[in-house]
Amino acid sequence: MKRAIMLALVSVVAAVLAATAVARPAAKVSADAQQAVSCKSTLKIALVTPLTGGAGFLGNAQLSWAKYAVKRLQKTYGLRIRLVTGDTPVEQGPAPAQALAQKYVADKSVVAVIGPATSGAVAATSRTYFQAGLAHISPSATRTSLTQGTVKEATQAFFRVVGGDYIQGPSDAKFMVEKLKVSKVVIIDFQEPYSVGLADAAQSFLKAKGVTVIRESTSVKTTDFSSLVTKVPNDAQIVFFPTQQPEDAQTFGQQLLEQGKRAKVFGGDGSNSPDKFKLPGSYVSNFAPDISGFAYNKALIAGWKRDNPKSSLESFGPPTYGAVQVAMNAIKRACNVGKGQIKDRRDVVRNVKRIVVKNWILGGDFRFSTRTNDPLNARFYIFQIQSNGSYKLVG
Amino acid sequence: MDTFIQLTLNGLTLGSVYALIALGYSLVYGILKLLNFAHGDVFMVGSFIGYGALQALGGSANPKVPLWLLLVLVTLAAMVGCAILGVAIERFAYRPLRNAPRIAPLISALGVSFFLAYSVQLLFGAEQRDYDAFALGEGTLFFSGFDIGNVRVPLLRIIIIVAAFVLMVLLWLLVTKTRIGKAMRATSHDREAAAMMGINIDRVIVFAFVLGSALAGAAGVLFALRAPTSATIGFIIGLKGFTAAVIGGIGSIPGAMAGGLILGFAEAFTQGYISTRWSDLLVFAILIAFMLFRPQGLFGRPDINKV
Repeated sequence: MKRAIMLALVSVVAAVLAATAVARPAAKVSADAQQAVSCKSTLKIALVTPLTGGAGFLGNAQLSWAKYAVKRLQKTYGLRIRLVTGDTPVEQGPAPAQALAQKYVADKSVVAVIGPATSGAVAATSRTYFQAGLAHISPSATRTSLTQGTVKEATQAFFRVVGGDYIQGPSDAKFMVEKLKVSKVVIIDFQEPYSVGLADAAQSFLKAKGVTVIRESTSVKTTDFSSLVTKVPNDAQIVFFPTQQPEDAQTFGQQLLEQGKRAKVFGGDGSNSPDKFKLPGSYVSNFAPDISGFAYNKALIAGWKRDNPKSSLESFGPPTYGAVQVAMNAIKRACNVGKGQIKDRRDVVRNVKRIVVKNWILGGDFRFSTRTNDPLNARFYIFQIQSNGSYKLVG
Repeated sequence: MDTFIQLTLNGLTLGSVYALIALGYSLVYGILKLLNFAHGDVFMVGSFIGYGALQALGGSANPKVPLWLLLVLVTLAAMVGCAILGVAIERFAYRPLRNAPRIAPLISALGVSFFLAYSVQLLFGAEQRDYDAFALGEGTLFFSGFDIGNVRVPLLRIIIIVAAFVLMVLLWLLVTKTRIGKAMRATSHDREAAAMMGINIDRVIVFAFVLGSALAGAAGVLFALRAPTSATIGFIIGLKGFTAAVIGGIGSIPGAMAGGLILGFAEAFTQGYISTRWSDLLVFAILIAFMLFRPQGLFGRPDINKV
């Protein structure tokens, strides 16, 4: 009996020692991560976005604008910045974003993160970034619950420079009611948070305006929508289809035509891709307008086009320029506070919220809301796809 | 009534593709008693080969050859490519394990499945590929056809259903009316006895992989003409093909055809009359029900062991 108790005690002591030994390196990493960094050294900003996979088009657009922003703004802020990139294909779920978050948290020279680009990746990693005091500023994560509601999915270290679905859903629905004069709308969600949130927001607005709403739901893995299309009534004017795969919006629209339905597809920002969703007459909303409409952007766009002669101006890239601008501005302020050093990456987080940008790339002046880490006065823009496949701003 | 006709058409289109995939499972299982879980990924590779061939022939918007020839060439390219892939899989992943415990080739099959999916993702990216059949012949495939009541039966669906049935009939004739078909049936019945009768078992097995994989390649093209494909699509479609094979009776060729159609109709009618949320649940509930109450499927024979 005594022997058994002794053995148990030895086991407990051994377990405690082992746990301490395991904990030590972690504490060291954490301390290392908080070591002061000289602002004269090369600092890193990480871009976390899907560079491959179905959403690769948006990641690559964001990368081109992030590179351009770093190149253009280094002199303005007197910083030496190196942009590092992390790929988070949407098909692989949150795992790549989580692995990247660990990597960037452990690298003390990473002083800010641009992204994650998708809401799911933000929800999966925000706590990790928060614990390390690392600001993460997304140019495209729009899920409402990231920053609003009783249980927020993101932390105080998360910021976004575009409006959330709390704006997108109602503004899309408002357009349908006021401009398209709809009386019957079919809303489809894909049983995942992005589309369900957006569909719910649009549905409650439409119902409040007396529009008949037929709600359908399908798996995100669905590829053949024909039976769903069969259920679309012939007198429905719009099918609100907030997918994150623009090819699916295209397929759905084609299958509507195939079955002789008159309804038009209305996609959210996730289907905003002129290369892939190009069915004439369809609608798509996005958080960014056509930035060439602002005269002060002329030189900026010309510079970007010089660097990216084969790329066309679209919606996902420009907010990334804005996010980098906010991040570099906050880094500069943190350097000033620390007298040439970033003593703690939390200093960058503290300064993000104070940033005000005149002549914001997306129009007007930019500042954060005082209540949340969302932009103040953000809005969504609605485009209609033309017969040549181009997107025309209609709302 | 229109809804019923439309859903029947949807089920027939989907079911034809499932049936072609199920045939591949059944052919290999019938001869090797192996569940080839890489088969869904062979289907995926077929859809990618078809996409490559389509681009090589000028793409959907500006094809260099007439529409009918384009479709034939794209399908043939996928069938030949997948047949070669099937032979390679058999040679390197299954043949070395032919006398190993049954779990070994099963694990190997899963390994091949992941290998194929992630290799394609690495080589071609994870983005979806769209054949853009809408642009072929300026929408001919979607807008021409005939009407049943108020329901349009577009040319594309006719092509998919007819092509699938022609391939199934050809397979049926090959298995029942030719010498190699007889050898396949003999091997399926008793591999050892067939070998003793002078049948080249290796050749028969390779031929089964060639046939099954070629059918998967054709299914990949027929599927991708209506929906975008991606590197990871093989798993779920393969699982549905497997379910169809189990429903029909794995190892049975008519069973695979019937199972595919039953599954296609079940999916279409559930989506149309109940809810799209329930369709996958129902599909796999059918699988479980068959495993519990009729494991030999509709056309299969129960395993009787001499005790």
